[in-house]
Amino acid sequence: MITLLGVYHPFLSPLPIWDYWAWLVIPLTLGVSVVYKSIRCSSMSHVPRQAAEISFYIIISMILAAGILTMIVRAISS
Amino acid sequence: MVNAHYVECAVLRACSAPCAFLPNNGYTSAAMTERTGFFSAPPLVAVAGWIVPGAGYLLLGQVARGVTIGVTILFLFIAGVLIGGIRVIDVPGFTSLGEKKIVIKPDPDKLVGPSPREWSLRAHPLQTVFEKPWYVGQVLAGPICLAASYLSVEGAKPENPGAVVSRVPPSHARVWEIGTLYTAVAGMLNLLAIIDSSYRAGRKAT
Repeated sequence: MITLLGVYHPFLSPLPIWDYWAWLVIPLTLGVSVVYKSIRCSSMSHVPRQAAEISFYIIISMILAAGILTMIVRAISS
Repeated sequence: MVNAHYVECAVLRACSAPCAFLPNNGYTSAAMTERTGFFSAPPLVAVAGWIVPGAGYLLLGQVARGVTIGVTILFLFIAGVLIGGIRVIDVPGFTSLGEKKIVIKPDPDKLVGPSPREWSLRAHPLQTVFEKPWYVGQVLAGPICLAASYLSVEGAKPENPGAVVSRVPPSHARVWEIGTLYTAVAGMLNLLAIIDSSYRAGRKAT
């Protein structure tokens, strides 16, 4: 990973995250949650807590969905 | 007692001060602080929101909301380009080597000689855009996407004429998908913000 970062040129070459790509769902989820809750909440002071809550639920839901889909695929292939 | 409470809340509401008894947990609603006038016209708010993500809310006087949304959308877009490289902005109407995609346009009156050729984006705009539908989401992020599109097309061109290798190679597989996802989601969130800010501007105007 560190070796690959040596040849990484920001904005030109892709980020060498071949084995860690799944972690990129977290910033994306946080971004979607912050924008969505900024639009929905009447007061901006509620946004951090509600965005954190909805991010947590989205990530847990995605983990559950991934687990269920993995079990279905394994059941079909076996 | 009840009447006194309502009178107290009405006074606090008129003063735009926090009140624990109000339904919005003691904070003044966004509508109370919205601006009115020429700069809050819905079309202007929508255009401003596209040019600079979150600027529509700034025109309405909702600074915190506008800055939060704008910074988040720009962060997602720039993160997408950082993850997948500039070539995740895949511009319709251009080949992988940055050349204009040319199509033959049949001319029933011209039976002899070479058929006229035209840029695909001009000949079949909708069909060309639908070949790369993720660009529709990306371009909603604003002029930052247009600048990235220019850099992407320039980077796709080979260093030497006739060569078949781009100056900036495109990314592949999951990294390309994630970069595209980030940039397209940023644009779609900006569309959400544009619609919401325009709606708020229209509601205030009426």
